[in-house]
Parts: sequence; C-alpha cells; structure tokens
Amino acid sequence: MGKERFDRKKFDRLAQEIRYITTDMICRYGQGHLGGSVDLAEIVITLYYRIMNIRPADPQWGERDRLVLSKGHCGPILYTILAYKGFFPKSWLATLNMDGTRLPSHVDQNQTPGVDITAGSLGQGLSCACGIALAGKMNRKNYRTFCIIGDGESNEGQIWEAALFASHNRLDNLLVICDYNKLQIDGFTEDVLGLEPLTEKWHSFGWEVFEMDGHNWDDIYRKIHKAMTVKGKPSMIIAHTIKCKGNRLLENKPECHYIRVPDKDTYRKIMDGLVYKDVQLPY
Amino acid sequence: MNYHEMEMRAVYAGTLNGLMDENPHVICLEADLGKSSGTVPEVREKHPDNFIECGVCEANMIGIAAGLAKEGKIPFCASFTSFASRRAYDQVSISVGFANNNVKIVGTAPGITNGPNGGTHICFQDLAIMRAMPNMHVYSPCDVYELRSILRFMVKEKQPTYMQLIRVKVGKILDTNYRFNPEKAVILREGSDVTLVSTGYMTQFAYKVANELSSGGISVDLLHYPSVKPFDAETLIQSAKKTGAVVAVENQNIIGGLGGAVCEVLSENYPTRVKRLGIPDRFGEVASEQYFFDKYGFGPEHIARACRDMMKNKVKGNSA
Repeated sequence: MGKERFDRKKFDRLAQEIRYITTDMICRYGQGHLGGSVDLAEIVITLYYRIMNIRPADPQWGERDRLVLSKGHCGPILYTILAYKGFFPKSWLATLNMDGTRLPSHVDQNQTPGVDITAGSLGQGLSCACGIALAGKMNRKNYRTFCIIGDGESNEGQIWEAALFASHNRLDNLLVICDYNKLQIDGFTEDVLGLEPLTEKWHSFGWEVFEMDGHNWDDIYRKIHKAMTVKGKPSMIIAHTIKCKGNRLLENKPECHYIRVPDKDTYRKIMDGLVYKDVQLPY
Repeated sequence: MNYHEMEMRAVYAGTLNGLMDENPHVICLEADLGKSSGTVPEVREKHPDNFIECGVCEANMIGIAAGLAKEGKIPFCASFTSFASRRAYDQVSISVGFANNNVKIVGTAPGITNGPNGGTHICFQDLAIMRAMPNMHVYSPCDVYELRSILRFMVKEKQPTYMQLIRVKVGKILDTNYRFNPEKAVILREGSDVTLVSTGYMTQFAYKVANELSSGGISVDLLHYPSVKPFDAETLIQSAKKTGAVVAVENQNIIGGLGGAVCEVLSENYPTRVKRLGIPDRFGEVASEQYFFDKYGFGPEHIARACRDMMKNKVKGNSA
C-alpha cells in the first residue's frame, strides 16, 4: 500500500475516527490505557500513512520500516491504525482484551500482524529497537526503525542504557519519538520523577534531538523528515502532546492514564467527552 | 594441548568462531565480561563484525539480542550467571521468553566456580529460575565435548536457550563422538544399586564417585543431564524402578534446580526416596570449592556417603 498525499480535512477526520474507535474499544472492554493511546493519533497516522514503507498484506516484508511501540500499553491505538491500513480485519477491533483475542492490551509480536516487537515491560522496546536497527546495518538493509517511548517510561534505566548504545554504535537508522504528555500513572512527570531538561539529556547522550508539537500535522511530518536525514547518530524527537487529546472530560488529567468504565453512564460520559462523535463503528 | 585440556571458555570462543565461519548470522554479545567468558580477544579479533560490545548493560544486551534475533540473527549473550539470569530476568522473560525470540543466553562461572568473587556474584538459582520460564531451554554441559556439541545444537535450533558455561578446565568425561540430545539423559555408567543424577560442573565429581563406588561393590546408575529443561523423565523413572534409591547433586540451590526436577518427576510417576545434594538454600560467599563442599556436604566424599546411605536405607518395593 502506497503512502498517501496529505489532505488536512481527510487526516483530521481520520484522527477523529481513530480516537473515537480506540476510546470505544477500551470502554467496551471496561478498562484500559486510554490517555497515552489517543494522544498518539496524529503521530501514528503520520508514520503509517505518510512516512513508513509497509505492505499490510505482507506484514513480514523484509524491506518494511519497523515500528516498535516501546510504550506497549498503548497497543489499542496501534491496532486501530493497523486495522485501517489492512493488516487485519477491522472487526478484530471489537475483541480488544477479550478472551482469546489477538489484540492484547500490551503489544505482542506473536499475536498481531504488523506488531514488530513484544513490549509492555517498560524500557525493553527501545533496546529491541536498537537490535533491529543494528541488524539492519549488519544485513545492509535500508529499512528504518521507528520507536515510540513514553515519558513515564523514560524513568527506566534501560532507556538510558539503550541511549548510550545507540549513539555509540551510530544507529542513524533509528528514529525514536518520546510521547511527552507530561503525565504518568502517579501524577505529573515532574512531580513523580523529573525528566527535565529532557532535550539536553538526550543531546548529551549523543543523539540529534528535535522537538515537535505532537498534534500538528505539518510539524510532525517536517520533524520526522528532518530526523530521517541525520547521519552518524540516532535521532530523538520529543513530541509535546496532550494526554487524552480530543476528550474534553479527560484531557491532561492524571486519571486518563488508565480508565475504568464500570457502567453505561460512565461509558456515555467518556464518549460524550470526545470532541467529535459522528463516527460509524466498524464492528 | 589435547582438546579436553583446554579451558571451557576457550572452547566457547573457539566454537563460536567456527560457527561464525559457517554462518555469518551468529553474533557474540558481551557486557564488558568478554575476557571472562573467553571471547575477548578471540572472537572480537577474528570476527569483529559479529562481535557486539554492550558495556556494563546486561538488560540492554538482552533487548539488543532480542531485536537482532527478530531480524534473523543468532545472538549469544554472555555474562556471569548472576547477571545473565537474576539481573536481567525480566528482560529475558519478556523480550526473549514471552516473545519467543531466538536468543542464546550464556551464564558463565556457575555457582561455586565463581567462589573468588563471593556472594554478590555467585548465583545458585539460575537453573531454577530459568527452568520456571516458559519457552526457555536450559542446558548445563559437563565438559568440552558436550559444550561444543551443545553450541552447535543451539545455532541449529531456533529457540530461547539458557546455557551455563564453566570457564575453567574440566576433566574429560565424553569424547569427540558425543552428540547432544536435549531429550535424553546421558547414562555415564549403568548400575542397579543406586541412581546418581548430576548436571554441569558436578558431573565430573559424580563420575569419579560412581567409578570408585562401583569398584567397591556398589553399582551406580549414573545419569548426567545436559538438559535440565527439557528433562528426560523416562530415563530417570526407569532407573528409579531399577535401583529404588536416587541421589541428585548439583552446583545450585537444592530448591528448584536439577534436584527439584528429579523430585517432581518421581513424585508424580514413581515415588522414590531422593537425597538432594547441593546448596541448602544459602547465598554464596568468598570461598574455595573445598570449603563449599565441606560446609554444605556435596563434595565427592559426601556424594559417596549419600549413595551408600540411600542404598542401605532403601525401601524395597517402592509404590508405583
């Protein structure tokens, strides 16, 4: 499937749909990681629709670009995109976390077509992404390895081990995006375990560092493209995002990290919080 | 120098070099202990493109290996058993075991062979915790021939594997014709009075004891388990049926390792008295091999005594 030409109206609409469906999937199950999933909509859409070389009918195509969702708990939004791109039927989306599902809460390379690496135990995905990027160089392949990490995830020491490794080995085929929504489970990142100055940290680890507005189509595309031209070192793009973006009830609230939906009233309230509602569910 | 006179780590490095000559996808990863596991300078110099130095980052090394494996490489990651198993256990569990990535983890200097480094570096539970991990295959070779054969097998089979690597010289037990089969225990001596079960480092002592006891009139059925998982239950059950008395000895905590596997199999299939020898649920300390043997009672003389005692106190007609 080819990359798509940017059409702001169409992409805005797509982001609305992706957010709506992802929220519905989580609510339908009754609980899940909502905030960090839906805040990725514009970034993941840009990657899968405008940047990455993929063949949904051949998920293991050797030349494809890889994506490691190191913040593996945000599987739901990735599943929605993968279904939209045709990696599997959209009807699967209704099975999120259900018994016997192929769409588990945390991404699993052995369950879901299009998922490149199992992740969920935080910090591990970035190391795996380094291994994939290194293999690309060893095998003289031209694919690029994208990896999305979380800001809370950046508390993990393993992130910084991988940061050292990637720059030491000049992995310029590795492009990492940090979803910097400034919230983690126990509160705001600066209250739980401060990351600032985050840009300087990555820079001092030998990475080329960019910052972008993680909800601005033009900025996302431009920064990713620019990062893809970097030679001799890995790139980090710190994406400033709003956790649970697009849901007026939960936006930027600590409780949006993991929601519980015990009854229909709660379900309705959360769905009513969405800015856009006229979406036809595909399942 | 004869092959069996080489240090085990030299055989590890030499075999890896040979495997890399045959298959360019074989990769050696180290976390700043390459000199200890024998790959520095041997592998690093002979195959610089297949050698990855990760620095003192065991967790990251496991993740790197998982990513490499996902792309078709065959990575061997080495570190002391304590770091390869205990320290990186969650990384091994998720990025290797759960994800079922074809990563080979090599735990060096197992148990008391890391005596000079003491309690922080000695690991007595790696066999137990690796055995308890789904998808993981757990091997512990007893000599150079078995080590070489296991390494060849590991390259061939696409599956997560943990292998203990003794660094030092070990006496010759097997020979150049030996072929590793993870489904089969190696019957090093056939006997009818008592079953002696061992793995890895302790097999050389068990072998010596079995020979001595046999010349003294006690017939020992000596079963060496190069693979603790999968575990060849059938050979053990048949031996227990024959002897009615079992002694298990290992360079590990007696909880959960080889002795644990022996007890699990026999209690479910052919209840038989078992004496487990090894470390009785203690951490390590700076000490010599003899000190550990004497303190915890699992050296050659203790193994011999346990075999004699078990034989004497045998309950005839085990239930089954």
